[in-house]
Amino acid sequence: MDPEKILSSSDLLAKIETVCKRRFSAENDKNECYIFIIDSLKADNFKRLRAFKGKSKLNTYLYSLINSLIIDFRRKKFGRRRIPAGVAKLGKWAETVYRFVCWQKFTFDDAYDFLRVDGLYTGPYIQFIKEIEPIKKVPCRENPAFQSIDETSESALNDINDEGANPLEFLIQKLDREKRIKAIKVIRETTAALSENDQLLVRLVYGSDQSVAAAAKIIGLPASTAGKRLKSLLTKYREKLLAEGIREP
Amino acid sequence: MGKWVNKTINPSVVWESENHILIEDLARLAEGAVDADERKHLIGHLNRCQRCYQILQETLRDISAETSTQPGSVPWWRTKMLYALAVSIVLALLIGGPFAIKHWTQRSPVIFASLDLDQGLKDILLEDDALKWEKKERINRLLTALQQRGLEVKDLNLVLLSNPYYQKKSLFGPKEILHIRIENKVAYLEVKEKD
Repeated sequence: MDPEKILSSSDLLAKIETVCKRRFSAENDKNECYIFIIDSLKADNFKRLRAFKGKSKLNTYLYSLINSLIIDFRRKKFGRRRIPAGVAKLGKWAETVYRFVCWQKFTFDDAYDFLRVDGLYTGPYIQFIKEIEPIKKVPCRENPAFQSIDETSESALNDINDEGANPLEFLIQKLDREKRIKAIKVIRETTAALSENDQLLVRLVYGSDQSVAAAAKIIGLPASTAGKRLKSLLTKYREKLLAEGIREP
Repeated sequence: MGKWVNKTINPSVVWESENHILIEDLARLAEGAVDADERKHLIGHLNRCQRCYQILQETLRDISAETSTQPGSVPWWRTKMLYALAVSIVLALLIGGPFAIKHWTQRSPVIFASLDLDQGLKDILLEDDALKWEKKERINRLLTALQQRGLEVKDLNLVLLSNPYYQKKSLFGPKEILHIRIENKVAYLEVKEKD
């Protein structure tokens, strides 16, 4: 394997370009991502490409490598993420809000629900809205829409009809705030109590929208068996939710 | 992506150590090319490490996207499924078509009749001056009267009278005819004087 040849191949260059485009929306970020990955692959005499031992397909290896470098690029570009002092002084709950909204691009509404789930905030929503005012004023370079972010959770409603694909998500979206917070707790606890294989299966399929076939391959099960397993896991979630008085409205 | 479930159950721990899964091992795992012991170890790590989980799931997404955009990569069953669907529709039309046509063209027949308005019918019409009859007893009395006069009507749900009917005061008044149209269990009644 000649790493120089691989790096100059149009196939790899197209892969890098496509993945950077997929991960970043700003044109500048896409270009910087592309250059960072090329430079990283060239670094130390193509060390990263030379690390390929041929145990996997080169194609899969390259995608994994590109994705690993993108994480490094994000860290380099945006720095080791630090919570602004103005937010940190408000307390842990405020840091978490900033993390959710600025870094992970959730809405303030979502952040409130997550805080409630994690027990980081116990006050009513109206109080929360008042208390986040100083956080909204802090700049966020990773999310320019930070200060004007839509608080109506519109994005959460986008695929509300997608029940077949993700029944857990579908249920959570339909619940009112208090029930949603309760349901999230139940789902989290139920997941934590599952076996390692089941946890990953649920995370991949319902947390990351991977196909059952792709997830099954990772768990080491035939796709049909994984599908049946998921069905029985959903029944388990359903029973736990029902036991807490949560049902589809 | 299901943002709620994603946030709720995805690994939240960011391991800062260098003890991550090797890229090639992640690639092998994505391909399903690891043995049971190794898989157990890798899955245990993935459930706790945000970075490795992220690389794995993004890799799966990229591979899936690449496969779906490749020309000719449409799975055979998807194409055959379309043909099968088309054939099924044609067969359904061929087999079920005549029945459907029969069903649509032979809907409950419309009955037209003209009857001399005798005293029995008059009594029913004079019970009250409602144009829309909803009392089942009255409707049933009309139904029985019509059947007794030879009309092949099995059931009535509603009777609509075009104008209120009043008793003619003249003992020798003009002869009256009851025009009836029955459609979908609804009887439309109209009383006209005979020329």
